[in-house]
Amino acid sequence: MNRILIVEDEQHLAKGLCFNFEREGYQVEAVETAKDALERLMLNPVPFDVLVLDVMLPDKDGFTVMTELRQAGQLIPTLMLTARGHSADVLRGFEAGADDYLTKPFDLAILLARVRGLLRRREWLQNRAHPPAASGESLQFGTAGEKTVDFDSLELTVRDQVFRLTLMEANLLKYLIRHEGKPLSRKAMIGDVWGLDENTDTRPIDNFIVRLRRYIEDDPTRPRHLVTVRGVGYRFVSKPV
Amino acid sequence: MVVAGRHRSIAFFTALGAGLVLVTILLYVGWVLLNWRTGILLFAGVLLLALIIAGVALNTIFLVREIRRNERHDAFINAVTHELKTPVASIRLYLDTLLTHPVEDSKRTEFYRVMLDDSKRLLATIEQILRAGRLGHPTRVLNSVPIDLNALVEQCLSQARTLYSLEPDSLRYHPGPAIRVKGDPDEIQAAVSNLIDNAVKYSGRDVQVDAETAQLDERHAIVRVRDRGVGIPEKQLKAIFRRFYRIPGPVAMRLKGTGLGLYIVRSVAKRHGGRVWAESDGPGQGSTFFLQLPMLR
Repeated sequence: MNRILIVEDEQHLAKGLCFNFEREGYQVEAVETAKDALERLMLNPVPFDVLVLDVMLPDKDGFTVMTELRQAGQLIPTLMLTARGHSADVLRGFEAGADDYLTKPFDLAILLARVRGLLRRREWLQNRAHPPAASGESLQFGTAGEKTVDFDSLELTVRDQVFRLTLMEANLLKYLIRHEGKPLSRKAMIGDVWGLDENTDTRPIDNFIVRLRRYIEDDPTRPRHLVTVRGVGYRFVSKPV
Repeated sequence: MVVAGRHRSIAFFTALGAGLVLVTILLYVGWVLLNWRTGILLFAGVLLLALIIAGVALNTIFLVREIRRNERHDAFINAVTHELKTPVASIRLYLDTLLTHPVEDSKRTEFYRVMLDDSKRLLATIEQILRAGRLGHPTRVLNSVPIDLNALVEQCLSQARTLYSLEPDSLRYHPGPAIRVKGDPDEIQAAVSNLIDNAVKYSGRDVQVDAETAQLDERHAIVRVRDRGVGIPEKQLKAIFRRFYRIPGPVAMRLKGTGLGLYIVRSVAKRHGGRVWAESDGPGQGSTFFLQLPMLR
């Protein structure tokens, strides 16, 4: 089921949008502020498929949110929704990294069609056969080098089992492998991997670690690659003895 | 981007003005040094110099003001666009929904209620804009009748309670002695309602507003509206009554508005020979608004 995140502080609009998307068979979540939106998108282990983003938000404007998301490598297809319909505003939206732009008041059928369009394009891109990684951005680990992660196709191969990683899972794993052996704090991970400031809630990191352990550890309850460092955070061990 | 451009042009005109004044002073100092003997000419020169400096200074002030006003006007257009289009967008969305999907009865009623709320919000914004436009015309004759101030405030309060679904406890009223003022009931009600709406709007979640009427002296009555909300920085206490003015910062971003409310209150007060002012201990300390009106004797 496709998941949609709506960022809209006008409650009536948010509610109406949720109702319609749910009726169309999507799973919907709505948040009111830019801060919540960034947290949901960057730290949620189950990724969203489409983002519907309002421009006038109580804490930040939508253009800034869009720019920040794109800079952090979050490529979610995004439809911006706003009362401001000047061509300068529309262009600003696209420059910030939006995929589509609709001005309020909008036609419901058109909104739904545009969201379907974004989802369709996303599926095409995902289903396209991944060519063998030309740049070969892949790393090996494990005692006998039996585990390989390919950062181009976002695939993790453990012996003959293949896992598909989300972009953020892959980014976190890459970060951990690059800093092999060093204890890493949750705050550092939030800052370096997600590009969020230090005041962000760091608990979601633990969810990511749990998920990664499920992929790479032979026994996820007794981790040997992703070791907890008490009082600090985590440490990655490439070849556990 | 536009704002940065305006700030640059303000800086430019200020610098230009200052530069011109400096050049003129230098020229005249030189001129005086060369011609110190010719006394009358010297006197005339000094006079002329003073005039030029005053002219340049006035010009600069005018330009800076004009730019500021333009800035406020742009912000106003933005805010009004938002305030007008959002409820329309919402009403349209719900109508589209009702036409597109089969909706069960309970939901249907909820949708009607949402649309009703949105149409009320839309009407309120439109009325606010029209009123501000009317008050801008000084030629309009005042429809002056005696008004029972206590009853009028009471009515405004009960309207606000319904509109924001508030407990009577969070919007308290302390009526003073029976006071009658002379004026246009429609305008005075708009002024008082604006003060109460603001108090509720800027209170946050925990609304605690006190409204009070009292006799100030032999000739004046006063309506006082006190909240425990976001408060007002001391520097902004006067500026908030200007047309389109909104205190810059996160609060204005969170709470949307047109910047017309307090301008309307001030215009109404002035037309009735009264005045309005605000007091606040600063951000987070709440604020109190005073509307003073001449009594009917």
